[in-house]
Amino acid sequence: MKNYKALMRNHLYLLISLLFFASCSNRTDTPVHKVYTVEIKQMQFQPAELTVQKGDTIIWINRDIVQHDVTEEKSKAWTSSPLLTGQSWTLVATENADYYCSIHQVMKGKLLVQ
Amino acid sequence: MKCIKPLVKWAGAAILYTMVMPSPAFSQQKPDLSDPEIASVAVAANQIDINYAEIAKEKSKNADILEFAQTMANDHKAVIAQAVALVTKLGVTPKDNAVTQKMQADAEKTKKMLRSKSGAAFNKAYIDNEVAYHKAVISAVEDLLIPESDNNELKELLQNVVPALKTHLMHAEMVQKKFSK
Repeated sequence: MKNYKALMRNHLYLLISLLFFASCSNRTDTPVHKVYTVEIKQMQFQPAELTVQKGDTIIWINRDIVQHDVTEEKSKAWTSSPLLTGQSWTLVATENADYYCSIHQVMKGKLLVQ
Repeated sequence: MKCIKPLVKWAGAAILYTMVMPSPAFSQQKPDLSDPEIASVAVAANQIDINYAEIAKEKSKNADILEFAQTMANDHKAVIAQAVALVTKLGVTPKDNAVTQKMQADAEKTKKMLRSKSGAAFNKAYIDNEVAYHKAVISAVEDLLIPESDNNELKELLQNVVPALKTHLMHAEMVQKKFSK
């Protein structure tokens, strides 16, 4: 009976240990992604340059009274389409990008992905 | 281009009147505009550029000109909508005045000039006028309309419009370079 209790206790310790290490392992394997906001106001992307980690989320929100969009500049790889006042658009960062507002082509921004 | 000169002179006179800047057409004192008159000038200035854009959309086939004209029409309509919403909220009726009338008379001459041109000559005339017009309007808004505004919300609206006008000017200058080659 003593041996049985000792065996069960050992199994319990083992189970707790496995659960503990498993939870630690999950924490290190799953990176915590951040969410950033870029405001479009006064005819500028604010901030105009943003450094993020791969997988982070960027939300652009139009605070101006005129329409804007957010468009990758070199190959038009992605675009938000026109954003009315108060509308927002979300992108998960995968690579560096120079972007601009294709409606007001002098408005430019830069995304640096680490 | 001719129509812009009086407005530039007028704005210049407004800025420099304390320095007794001589100007044949605008040697009188700085215009004393009420808020309803400022609202009228602001709406007219936006509507004039919408009208120029409509002519460009009728006459031009150039993609840069058409895109720019569409942006001008959309943005200036948005500004007018904001101005109308504000004067409605404030219970103010825009009041016609000599400045508005002068701007509209000059705009008629410019529209006639633009309609007389076609093809590349039209494109160049349109974008040259957009550069000159935005320079004049920025000067008038910053140096006369904002300082003359009594109501803080009207002043704030005018201040918020300046970055858009400056962006339009930079955009127009960018397009203008393509037609000066």
